[in-house]
Amino acid sequence: MRRYFLVFPFLFRFSFILLIILTLHFATGKFAFASGNNSQPGLVNGHSNEDIKRGQRFFMGLLPFDRKGESCVSCHNLKPADTLNWNPSAIAIAEKYIEKDFAEFQAAVMQPSGKKMEASHQNFEIPEEDLKLVKVYLDNLAMTGLPAEKPSINNILLFIFLGLLITWALAELIFFRKIKHKIIPTIIFVAAFGFQVKMIVTEATKLGRSQGYAPDQPIKFSHKVHAGDNKIDCLYCHHTAEQSKSAGIPAMNLCMNCHVLIREGTNSGKFEIAKIVNAVEHKTPIEWMRLHNLPDHVFFSHAVHVGSAKLDCQKCHGPVEEMDIMKQQNDLSMGWCINCHRETQVDFANNPYFESYAQMHEDFKSGKRAKPTAEEMGANDCMKCHY
Amino acid sequence: MKTYWRSLDELADPKEFRIKEARAEARQKSLLLKKENEANHPSRRDFLKTLGFSLAAASIAASCKRPIDKMIPYLIKPEEVTPGMANYYASTYYDGGDYCSVLVKVRDGRPIKIEGNSLSPVSQEGTSARVQASILNLYDGARYKSPMHSGAETSWKMADAEIIETLRKIQQENGKTVLLTSTIISPSTQAIIQQFLKKNPNTEWIQYDAVSASGMLVANEKSFGLNAIPDYRFDKAKLVVSFGADFLGTWLSPVEYTKNYTSARNLRDGQKEMLRHYQFESGMTLTGSNADVRFPVKPSEESGIVLALYNAIAKAKGAQTLTGASSAVDISGLAEELLANEGHSMVISGSNNENIQLLVNGINQLLGNYGPVISWDTPLQTRKGRDEAMNTLIAGLEGGKISALLVWGANPVFDHPKGKAIETAIKKLTLSVSFAERKDETAKACQYILPEPNYLESWGDFEPKSGILSLAQPTIAPLFNSRPVQETLLKWSGETLRYKQYIEEYWQANFFPQQNDFTDFRIFRNNTLQKGVFSVPKKNEVEYSANGLAEAGQKIPSAKTGIEIALYETVAIGNGKYGNNPWLQELPDPVAKISWDNFAAVPVAYAEENGLNNEDVITVNGMELPVFIQPGQAKDTISVALGYGRAHAGKVGEKIGKDVYPWVRLENGNRTYFVENASISKVEGKTFELAISQTHHSMEGRPIARETTLEDYIKNPSAGNELRKKHQAESVTLYEKMDFPGHHWGMAVDLNSCTGCGNCAIACQAENNIQVIGKEQVRNRRIMHWIRIDRYYSEKPENPAVSFQPVMCQHCDNAPCENVCPVAATPHSNEGLNQMVYNRCVGTKYCVNNCPYRVRRFNWFQYARNDKFDYNANNDLGLMVLNPDVTVRSRGVVEKCSMCVQRIQEKKQEAKLAGRKIEDGEIKTACAQSCPGNAIVFGDMNDPNSRISKLFKDERNYHLLEELHTLPSVGYLTKVRNNIV
Repeated sequence: MRRYFLVFPFLFRFSFILLIILTLHFATGKFAFASGNNSQPGLVNGHSNEDIKRGQRFFMGLLPFDRKGESCVSCHNLKPADTLNWNPSAIAIAEKYIEKDFAEFQAAVMQPSGKKMEASHQNFEIPEEDLKLVKVYLDNLAMTGLPAEKPSINNILLFIFLGLLITWALAELIFFRKIKHKIIPTIIFVAAFGFQVKMIVTEATKLGRSQGYAPDQPIKFSHKVHAGDNKIDCLYCHHTAEQSKSAGIPAMNLCMNCHVLIREGTNSGKFEIAKIVNAVEHKTPIEWMRLHNLPDHVFFSHAVHVGSAKLDCQKCHGPVEEMDIMKQQNDLSMGWCINCHRETQVDFANNPYFESYAQMHEDFKSGKRAKPTAEEMGANDCMKCHY
Repeated sequence: MKTYWRSLDELADPKEFRIKEARAEARQKSLLLKKENEANHPSRRDFLKTLGFSLAAASIAASCKRPIDKMIPYLIKPEEVTPGMANYYASTYYDGGDYCSVLVKVRDGRPIKIEGNSLSPVSQEGTSARVQASILNLYDGARYKSPMHSGAETSWKMADAEIIETLRKIQQENGKTVLLTSTIISPSTQAIIQQFLKKNPNTEWIQYDAVSASGMLVANEKSFGLNAIPDYRFDKAKLVVSFGADFLGTWLSPVEYTKNYTSARNLRDGQKEMLRHYQFESGMTLTGSNADVRFPVKPSEESGIVLALYNAIAKAKGAQTLTGASSAVDISGLAEELLANEGHSMVISGSNNENIQLLVNGINQLLGNYGPVISWDTPLQTRKGRDEAMNTLIAGLEGGKISALLVWGANPVFDHPKGKAIETAIKKLTLSVSFAERKDETAKACQYILPEPNYLESWGDFEPKSGILSLAQPTIAPLFNSRPVQETLLKWSGETLRYKQYIEEYWQANFFPQQNDFTDFRIFRNNTLQKGVFSVPKKNEVEYSANGLAEAGQKIPSAKTGIEIALYETVAIGNGKYGNNPWLQELPDPVAKISWDNFAAVPVAYAEENGLNNEDVITVNGMELPVFIQPGQAKDTISVALGYGRAHAGKVGEKIGKDVYPWVRLENGNRTYFVENASISKVEGKTFELAISQTHHSMEGRPIARETTLEDYIKNPSAGNELRKKHQAESVTLYEKMDFPGHHWGMAVDLNSCTGCGNCAIACQAENNIQVIGKEQVRNRRIMHWIRIDRYYSEKPENPAVSFQPVMCQHCDNAPCENVCPVAATPHSNEGLNQMVYNRCVGTKYCVNNCPYRVRRFNWFQYARNDKFDYNANNDLGLMVLNPDVTVRSRGVVEKCSMCVQRIQEKKQEAKLAGRKIEDGEIKTACAQSCPGNAIVFGDMNDPNSRISKLFKDERNYHLLEELHTLPSVGYLTKVRNNIV
């Protein structure tokens, strides 16, 4: 009997450590994608917290009480949305206007320019004091950044719950012994423990992978509008993909090839395109958020896949031309690469490079063999990607 | 079968040595970093602490955020830049008398690698270890970051105004200004300096070389009326006799000489003739270790031998013989051989004594060597410093006759024997300005430091030999607030021209008219800049006069008794200018195989007589030095390297070794690099740890270095390589033969062309992000170099024959390491590469233990970004040198030569995109690309016409430990000696 007592604290401690690990992971890892600027809340010159709060309420549509129709926030959202909201978000407006005075802000709100704004900012009747407070709120927002989101605790709760179940099942097995059939707490123990292990494994595998990652970009750039609706070739912007390892992010001057004329978008109005112009004029390049990011020990070359193997971009990146918000379609795991190499046949006949593979080349020509797969050509050798 | 040995212990008792080595190696595997107090043994508590820490670390790691990566595109992309692809810019390396035409590899705006420029007639695609390592100097933390005045930061404007004013005042008061530079070979800079001198008429310009060639210049002026050094064409010579000139390592233009020397000795492509090389020297230099016949002599005996040689030849030619010092060696045979090779031989001397050089000139003249082998058409310009000018300067400084000193590229406080006196005098001057790029002793003594940019940040033009020019162009914007000295001098002469513009105007006026290929200057400029080199063919008729020769015999010093100390430059550190470069500090000396220190190399007999062992300490003329017993060291001599013991160099270079520049003697005003009659005593009971690596990574005495003589080789091309036939006959296997459907990469190393200079080790280090680990870890047998150069001795320890053998991963097709890896981290590729997958390696080191070639390296520590290894990889600046195409390995993984797989992949990609087969020679590994001896050939063994396939069919070819049936992809070609039989 006493022996079990020795086992119990060990198990307890073990699950406790696991709990710490998991809690830490969920609490911090889950929302790492949201880029929050968590500096100290600052006060805008001469305004109290009260004013900021009031400004926030106006922005949110809680004030004035007699308000009819829409509020600012119904178009200019605070939190990132899953689908692209074309209107500038509150934080973008705040950052743009923090350097400008109220008059300019007022002019922008009350005397809209551009088709899109004229349509939505129609017949605005906002008292100047209220608008001033909205500006105060936005200025404050620009300084403090968006409030941090609280982590979802579903997974943690589930994990703790499973831990409790395990504890209970063990206690039942060893001490209480109230249930006749020992098989019941045993099954519960095994199932709960198994599920916990599964949770750990799934979370651990996900570390470093980010399938479905779709961060907010500094410009509401839509691949759908450019590649889908306007049918711009991928390689027009990512023009180094055919020769270089890197597909490249188009330089600002490339954007300006078109946007030197196109200054107003159908969806986004002038606000987003103005950012490019601003970047070029002020020589401050746009800092895009990187989605597809392989670990440092992986050397992938676009040139081989796009330039030589002539793969479609969509094969790896998914239907980009349908994406308003760019999303990482595949998990970019090694298994995924290797599977594709197993299935993909190499265009053997049309590239004299492959004449080096003399025997294979002959066999193929004489019809002895089919086109080899990439794997057969050695694409799955370690040092093709890791060096 | 010859017996080879790597250390004297091995020679004395091979069996016991092997047991001792095995013990040392086993012990090495449990060594941790030394702590200040060694009593702390790891306890159970420590174990628990570590366990707890790793748990906490794991949990933090598990919870770490996905790093938010940002991508910042160009605002306006430069047309020639493609992210992910490297650009190569032709440029020129010139520093402290070393010249090399180079290509600079620039990836995403950062220069990361130096390659040789194949278009240069001087360096011919070769580089030296120092040139390879110079890339790291760009990212050196010891560089001055802004102009300084008395230790405080100042602005260029302020400094200019103050200095111009002071110079004007000195001029008014009739004071004297001296501009002290290293040898300037830039035509445009020479013009700028002349302009500056004209503007400041009381100024004198003195050129000064850290290691002097003044004696040669004086002698050549007397014999030929030219203050220059002739063009030594080793490729045209059949017989070379060198008196203490380390021309493969450090003398004048070693890269060029190595290229030409090895081409005159290589036996590939049907060549059956070989240059024969005699070497007289005291210490065992790189050149001496490659010589066919080597005479260990005392430095003071050299003059007598030269005189005897002169007399013997003069007698045969009917010229007047001279009287003087007697010879310690019988040179009659040598004289006969020289006479037999009239017009095809070359006698050179590294001495700084003008009379010895006059005799050498006399010998060459009598033999008719001037013209075909020693050419005056394109004399070498890289040494111009005359000792008498420097002596006058020092006298002037001490006598208070000089008011201002401007120092550029020279560091006399460190490398002149009167450095201390110079330092005191500089501090008393009205004005002292240093243009140093990085910390040095002279700059520290100066009031103003106006830093010049690194050579990779600057424009420039160079004329290493008359009529042979090259250009330099910046490959990165200046990292710090520096300004070209040329611009500074222009400004002080009242001009505001940028230096780039000045060069262009200068070239338009001077060199553009000398060519006919281009009619438009812009096209000429772009073309020359792209190639990096430009030549104006020149003929130079020179008249020999026996001026001073008659008295030379009487004037040369005679041999002395007593122990003499020979002072020499090392291949890695040179004159000490690159002391702060950790790559060079860690490069083992080619012969002694010691890194991170200088030492007293004592002869074997002396050590036996006096009971000295390696790492004992002796007092030499009052200075304590660690002992290293050097086989081949001449009797009654000790060699000590110059360039160590820097007082002000930066965090890496200070406090390494001892400074022996004060020992350099001024004999009749000439700097003389040996000390006579030294007093030596053993410091009882004291030892000093040296990073000696000569016995590390031993292959247990198996016959792996093979050699023959030219005579035997001509009779039987497979001479010395008889074992191979035996091994091939006995080869049976149970294993299935591997199939390599496309490429099968291989490498051949011609041991006859390898001089052991160490260029490949540094080239590999730069290419493959190999980390520096420091003296303590080198001692612990953990050096990370992927290519090590084994040095074997054979025959008598008093004057042994030396063989060099670079050993890297042999990429065995039946690799012992692959079978034992429990996690399959080192499998074989279908192109014949033995792959090493860092991200899969768990660090069992089974592969390290099972590799018979000892080429696998284990990361015992985290070397990058670790305060315990505070070298170049511990700060952002130093890490800029990393090659982005190669992973930086972390602690706990094994690494080894990958045959530069990143280069293979790059070229394959190029060929696939262009839709063509890979050409032979297109892929060059880092070690092969810049090898000054052309000793390494890389290629595809599946291609029957490739150079590698042909070399593998050569009778000289063999593989290491072929009897083990490891099927290596690296082959070696037997070394052939041109001995006298």
